[in-house]
Amino acid sequence: MSRLRIRELVRKEFIQLFRDKKSRQILIITPIAQLLIFGYVVTTDIRNITVGFLDQSQTKESRMLIDAFNANKTFNIIYYTDKPKDLEQGLLKRKFDLAIKVGPDFSEQIRKKKTAHIQILADGSMSNMASVRIAYSSLALDGLNQKFVKELYPFKMKYGKIDARIRTWYNPNLYSQNFFVPGIVAFLIMILVMVFTSMAIIKEREAGTMEQLIVTPVKPFELIMGKTIPYVVIALVQMVAVTIFAIFWFRIPLAGSSFLLLFATFLFILSVLGIGLFISTISSTQQQAMMTCFFFILPFVMLSGFVFPIANMPQIVQWLTYLNPLMYFLIIIRGIFLKGVGMEVLWPQLLALAIIGFIVLTGAAGRFRKRLD
Amino acid sequence: MNPIKIQAIARKEFYHLIRDFRSLYLAFAIPLFLILLFGYALSLDVDNIKTVAMDHDKTSLSRDLIRKLDASSYFNVIRHLSNTKEVTRYLEHGRATMAIVIPPGWTKNIKADREAPIQILLDGSDPNFASISLGYITKFVGEYNNNLLFDFLDRKSLEKIKPPVEGQIRVWFNENLESRNFILPGIIAIIIMIVGAMLTSLVIAREYENGTMETIFSLPIGAGEFLTGKAIPYFFIGLADVLIAVLMGQALFGIIMKSSFWLMVLASSIYLFVALSLGLLISIITKSQLVANQYAVLVTYLPSLLLSDFVFPIVNMPKVLQLITYIVPARYYIDILNGLYLRNLGMAHQWPSYTALIAMFIILAFMNLLALKREGM
Repeated sequence: MSRLRIRELVRKEFIQLFRDKKSRQILIITPIAQLLIFGYVVTTDIRNITVGFLDQSQTKESRMLIDAFNANKTFNIIYYTDKPKDLEQGLLKRKFDLAIKVGPDFSEQIRKKKTAHIQILADGSMSNMASVRIAYSSLALDGLNQKFVKELYPFKMKYGKIDARIRTWYNPNLYSQNFFVPGIVAFLIMILVMVFTSMAIIKEREAGTMEQLIVTPVKPFELIMGKTIPYVVIALVQMVAVTIFAIFWFRIPLAGSSFLLLFATFLFILSVLGIGLFISTISSTQQQAMMTCFFFILPFVMLSGFVFPIANMPQIVQWLTYLNPLMYFLIIIRGIFLKGVGMEVLWPQLLALAIIGFIVLTGAAGRFRKRLD
Repeated sequence: MNPIKIQAIARKEFYHLIRDFRSLYLAFAIPLFLILLFGYALSLDVDNIKTVAMDHDKTSLSRDLIRKLDASSYFNVIRHLSNTKEVTRYLEHGRATMAIVIPPGWTKNIKADREAPIQILLDGSDPNFASISLGYITKFVGEYNNNLLFDFLDRKSLEKIKPPVEGQIRVWFNENLESRNFILPGIIAIIIMIVGAMLTSLVIAREYENGTMETIFSLPIGAGEFLTGKAIPYFFIGLADVLIAVLMGQALFGIIMKSSFWLMVLASSIYLFVALSLGLLISIITKSQLVANQYAVLVTYLPSLLLSDFVFPIVNMPKVLQLITYIVPARYYIDILNGLYLRNLGMAHQWPSYTALIAMFIILAFMNLLALKREGM
């Protein structure tokens, strides 16, 4: 193994990458643009529940109902009507998320100490949001019931009840950004390393320059090093840049050790690099390589807990996620960013990454070598 | 436009695809795989919140509270713990996302008609999960308190008291609240973008890299004919993918379209036109497959995933990004599919989205022709 030859190969690769204006742009613009878009978009927070209201009762009691919803800042009654048809049309056309119908006998029922039924229609099309909206509206009704009971029954209302003191750890204000931005960093690095390594090698083969490289005194191992080192370096630089951006632009607190983060990134890059190298050995055109990359990237993203919680998956699929390097890296990156935990908690994930990285990389390098001979 | 010339180009592109067998079969395997994944494995609905309980009170009432929590369909009490350190460990390792702590004397407080605090700890690192959990636990406590209130009233007035107001909640459009019913339309939009735009973004760049673009320039063929011929094979792959997705959604997961099937085919075709012209435009401009692919990810795949109302609601976004979503084709397509699948809406309601897609296609097609003209075609 000659260090000089590897260095020259790395240099060649860098020159090739940065000579082309468009690929230079893509290396710089893509991560920042993606981080910006992702960072601002990915919120699943429920901040504003829009409500359409049909009040056929028009009494003090029905106004108390309106107040009960208005008192909760999440609700926003944006539409009042007196025609049931308008209410249904509004829900159909997504003008509001909830439609509340109060019948004409609303007050009468309450005053007779009976139960007055109101109708709440929820737009269920985004089911996760809908279930929260429904939970919040039941809550508003509970509050209202207590008020009515106080008026209806002249007792001293002092009864034992639960006072739930809810505290949220790790992300007290439930900012979605804190959850998603560290994940995006992982996602970006994965796409970059996998697609670039596999396509760059195929490109060399398509252009016929691979043959030229083989006739030079470069050994297969040196060739692999020369082809992969540039992407490891670029990915690490991007990791640092994107992390700095996340901390200073999005104000994501980095609670844990940044060295551990960098070390974990390195381990993660090794596994992704191995997969990229492997794809390059089984593809003959760049189009093929790209499609194969996405064949890996999509399940990696979907089965990583990035957006879809792993706890919701069936048991068999949960076992499959143990093969997914992105799953481990996300736990590590979120653990370091949000929980501030270190080696003592994250060692199983780090170990898993190291093992996957080692197996994949040696396997792929072996295949790559065989194809060169 | 000469149909024979178009056919010749289309045939050439088709042979490329057939010869590159793996690209072709991945173009079908990826959609199949995605649909299976989303149908069986992925869900945004939270119904199994792993909870640990720490009961310092140890009375029948406190045990009953925990039992009720476990019995409710959202919470799953996985362990009873005895000290705070263990609770912290469970949350830190992510083995539980919620902890309920009942302090000593809790039952005594309830029985003495006082407010009795309990502590709920939530792992907030996944805010989607946490805010849904927060909603459920608040609802659970609210219901529990309401029962306590009515117990109290019963004791006082010696008659059964009914709650004054009851909400009859009905869910429309997605009656069983299953996330896959709204995810499937989004997946179709993403599949079309992957097959339509990302695959085609490579096809003209490939001609440039191989030097065969020169040959094409010298052929007696117009830019329009060339582009149409290039797009045709991918159009059929894309349409086949849509049909596979729709049929699988229906056969395996019972996701049934409420509106017309042919309207869906029409909308998908228009959206495919947009995706294909976007892919070809990227290909002409970049002239390099590697760069084209990265641009395609940036301008087709990611916006379809993020800026389209797919999982992340547009109303939550900052104003600037909301404006950007107006030029994201997937936004209109998902709107149309959402209407067709869940709301039984037809052309009468959704013509603005169709118009927007057609307008985008015309503009993109024009830009394609212009770009090729500038190259000398």
